[in-house]
Amino acid sequence: MKMCKVLAVVLALTMCFGMVSAYAVTPTDNDVVIAIEGNMSSMDPHNITDTSAISATRGMYEPLVGFDEDRNFIGILAETWDISDDGLTYTFHLRDGIKFHDGTDFNADAVVANFDRILDESNGLRRTPNWYVTAADGSSTPRVTVTAEDESTVTFVLNEGWSTFLNKLALITYISPAALEEYGNDIMYHPCGTGPFVCEEWSEGNFLKMIPNTDYWGDIPSVDSITIQEVPEAGTRTAMLQTGEADFIYPMTSDQEGAVAGDEDIVIDSVPSNIMRYVTLNADVEALSDVKVRQAMNYAIDKNAYIALMYNGDATIADSVFPPTISYYAPQTVYEYDLDKAKELMEEAGYADGFDLTIWCDNATQEIKGATFIQQQLAQIGINVEVVPYDVGSMDADIYVERDEATIQMWYVNWSASDFSADSTVRALLHSSMEPPVSANTAYYENNEFDKLLDDALASADPEVLADLYAQAQAVAWADCPWLFLAVDNVRSAHQTYLTGVHMDPDGRIVYEDAAIAE
Amino acid sequence: MLRYAVKRILSAIPLLLVISLLIFMFIHLIPGDPARIIAGKEATSYEIENVREQLGLNEPLLKQYGIYMAGLLTLDLGNSIRNGATVFDTIAPRFVPTIQLTLLAMLWATLLGTLLGIMAAVRRGKTLDYVSMIIAISGISAPSFWLGLMLIQLFCVKLGWLPVSGLTTWKSYILPSFTMGCGVMAIIARFTRSSMLENLKEDYIRTARAKGLGEFFVILRHAYKNSLIQVVTVTGLQIGGLLTGSVMAETVFSINGLGRLLVDSIGFRDYKVVQALLLFFSLEYIVINLIVDLLYGVLDPKVRYD
Amino acid sequence: MSEETAKVLDQEPLYADAEALPTAQNRVKAFIKKFSKRKAALVSLVFLVALIVVAVISPYIVPYDPAAPDYSHMLEGPTAQHILGTDEFGRDVLSRVMVGARLSLFCALSAVVVGTFLGTVLGLLAGYYGGILESLIMRGSDVLFAFPDILLAIAIVAIIGPGTVNVIIAVAVFTVPSFARIMRSATIQVKGSLYVEVARSLGCPDRRILWTHIFPGTIQSMIVNFTMRIGTAILAAASLSFLGYGADVTVPEWGSMLSTARNYMTTAPHLVYVPGVLIFLTVLAFNLLGDGLRDTLDPKLK
Repeated sequence: MKMCKVLAVVLALTMCFGMVSAYAVTPTDNDVVIAIEGNMSSMDPHNITDTSAISATRGMYEPLVGFDEDRNFIGILAETWDISDDGLTYTFHLRDGIKFHDGTDFNADAVVANFDRILDESNGLRRTPNWYVTAADGSSTPRVTVTAEDESTVTFVLNEGWSTFLNKLALITYISPAALEEYGNDIMYHPCGTGPFVCEEWSEGNFLKMIPNTDYWGDIPSVDSITIQEVPEAGTRTAMLQTGEADFIYPMTSDQEGAVAGDEDIVIDSVPSNIMRYVTLNADVEALSDVKVRQAMNYAIDKNAYIALMYNGDATIADSVFPPTISYYAPQTVYEYDLDKAKELMEEAGYADGFDLTIWCDNATQEIKGATFIQQQLAQIGINVEVVPYDVGSMDADIYVERDEATIQMWYVNWSASDFSADSTVRALLHSSMEPPVSANTAYYENNEFDKLLDDALASADPEVLADLYAQAQAVAWADCPWLFLAVDNVRSAHQTYLTGVHMDPDGRIVYEDAAIAE
Repeated sequence: MLRYAVKRILSAIPLLLVISLLIFMFIHLIPGDPARIIAGKEATSYEIENVREQLGLNEPLLKQYGIYMAGLLTLDLGNSIRNGATVFDTIAPRFVPTIQLTLLAMLWATLLGTLLGIMAAVRRGKTLDYVSMIIAISGISAPSFWLGLMLIQLFCVKLGWLPVSGLTTWKSYILPSFTMGCGVMAIIARFTRSSMLENLKEDYIRTARAKGLGEFFVILRHAYKNSLIQVVTVTGLQIGGLLTGSVMAETVFSINGLGRLLVDSIGFRDYKVVQALLLFFSLEYIVINLIVDLLYGVLDPKVRYD
Repeated sequence: MSEETAKVLDQEPLYADAEALPTAQNRVKAFIKKFSKRKAALVSLVFLVALIVVAVISPYIVPYDPAAPDYSHMLEGPTAQHILGTDEFGRDVLSRVMVGARLSLFCALSAVVVGTFLGTVLGLLAGYYGGILESLIMRGSDVLFAFPDILLAIAIVAIIGPGTVNVIIAVAVFTVPSFARIMRSATIQVKGSLYVEVARSLGCPDRRILWTHIFPGTIQSMIVNFTMRIGTAILAAASLSFLGYGADVTVPEWGSMLSTARNYMTTAPHLVYVPGVLIFLTVLAFNLLGDGLRDTLDPKLK
């Protein structure tokens, strides 16, 4: 009797959820709300490495150089630049007449003042380590010397060849020296840059609201304000988009896609990213030390099923250790799903009966799902996998240990080079000097040929040489199978149809300078 | 009674010291290294070592504890490891939404819980009893993250009555406080009912009824008044539960409160913020418990403080 | 013995001298008779017993292998082949909830049993003896209480690592202080009552007073709290999964099924309803059962 009542209540609720929306969403104002998953750690552009904070600060701050849509370098605050023949001196000619939000001039002295801050290790800024070479004994030397030649010319002299210099420079944006003088490291509460937007309010851990900079040197934004709001729960973000509380959301996970399917007012956008999905195979584990086993495992993974399951088909099968959006990417032949071949290779390696392994993954639902898929696939060739989810801090503690204490076997993980350089795409993961605890070569991949190709490339500045070296490096790593190669993500966002001009960069940065709301 | 109160307050001081030590040890027992998280994924161990040095994480633990305690005594909680802001600046703006929601949740949970509990007890074994208890138990049967998401689907997406996130208008307080309060409401209703039942069959109720007092008066004045002791204990106990609820509700409804800050800070291993928050929660708890204990004496003359 | 005391003892047959007690057999009979009158509790008991039976024999009766994926039938609603539909891997939801009952019930029950035992003993001792012992125990539980449940559990799991046993330990630890607290206040209340004073004045040893006079007097609060706590424990396990600190992810468990399902709330709602309704009904049944037991065991109830 009571159970019946309970069931009745449950059924009634179910029916409520089946009802259709009883209202339509129209823009009521000229304010744009962007809901993001991540947390904007700080508004100090020199002290952030997270994409969310980078997205946010880029409205207010600008770099000397940036990328165009084809990932070529273009000038932003710098109009043009010259590179000396030895590739060690870069001279930048700055754009004239640019002012910071506080009315002071942007000039060569401002660039120098910003680099004085970044190169001062005692400031403890997160962008600082990029600009230093750190030796194994902990001593560090700066990579560049920055000098103002005149009001609008600034030179960077490199101490040694550094092919990713421009990539790193594109990550640095410029703060008003007068504001820096006044606020010091409290500058995060008082953003003052040259960008198209001025900070109206930053509620830490909550939202950032910006209004147009009416003195901007470029096109002045047409919207009244942009608010970037942190909304960690995917379902909540989707709901906000549906109700019009948010005009743009990122990320739009494939799980949520069904929720907005059939809603004509909502558009889902997808652009290829630089995020590589793979599983590291620790070559120190006896069974995994045999390249035949590692190849067999690659043959045993159905990549199409992976992409269908994880991304509703919206991703690309990985065909190199570089994602296609990275310069010097050279595609290889994919290890097509072939169980017979996989079993054959296992037998040749003497593991016809399989063996046991563990796979580590982050404790987020989506990551556990991916690792579980790997478990199911490898079971087909007799490999019995245990999935071990970890929170980031605890996993770090178990990964970055001395080699003889390492317990990692497989790691379901992803990587994206924040500066889009070929070197950052693989160095920390596959160079033999980067084995834990130094860095993240958890495959314990050691190939002298590969190391040398990477090192030679880093010291070079000639694009043709670089293309050749990186193509060779990719072929070597692909044949050695240090990873299970899975997929390259697409960056997925969704927005209301009345919003235009907001889009995603491949690194997950939201570009909103041209945002506009249709009447 | 007054002596007891003073004694309890004094005994809270060494307790806080013990707690602060425990919190410190407990945080440093959790594996993980904030320096690695700060340095970023591309950093090498040498760079990370430099970061650790700057943050003072390389000092011996005892010295770090000393610095932390010295800071506490001068009310200087240090700086957040994550972005260098002072811990006070980090916590202060998040304090208000959490407290507002907690009080609101507490308020409606107590009112509705008590009402349901009394109705159920008075109509014991009747339909009203079952209905009340099923409503109450529903509150504690649904995980709050799930409940929150269901409410968003119904009231925000389907009906469009209420906003999904933030705390901007009075309407935006409804769903989060409801989500937070459900579990507490259930517990209060449950305990009110059971202790009311006990009281309702006591002799003095029979006497009161025999004296011809109105049923309503008997229930409220006699039975409910004597049930208060149980209800107060349970209500006090639930504050900790509400904080748990606040973590979930703050995540689901994207509210920038203390619960979410704490979970984020644990994930980030931001020791300074975690220490300060846990200490704050402990203090809050001690104060509430003290009030509960003192209320025993007021509500139940049988209790002696000796 | 004053007239008043005699009267009290008269009304409390359970606590009177041994001779006055009915025989064990009679008591069981009386209990069953009284209990079977409580329909709601009886239905709940049947439901729970059925659930436990299903949990135990589930590996032998499930229609499908609960771990076997089927990528061609992902996220399908109920069909003739899959009565409760399939999940994000195309696994059979019915088989998964049947097997999931094992881990869910096992985790919740063992955590609460361990927590109750420790909490009860500590609460009784604290309430009865008072003084330094009470201060120590109660301040200790204040410390545990000071940390919100879930955070305590997260911290414990973070320190000792993920896994089923560790989740049980984490949930048990935060169960202890609530029992200690409630037992202590119940004990203080009972201690102040006449029959304990009488027993004490008659020179009963402490241990006997504790277990034969005070403990039975606190049983009701215990049962109420115990049943509530089983629900809390099931939910705590689900919340841990939600925050990413759940038990073994490869073995099905209702809480983790529910927290994973939230991503498919609009596209495959059956994934949310099935474990959600099961958790709901199970907690409800434990509560109604507790209610029935409480009323039946209550010696004052006529």
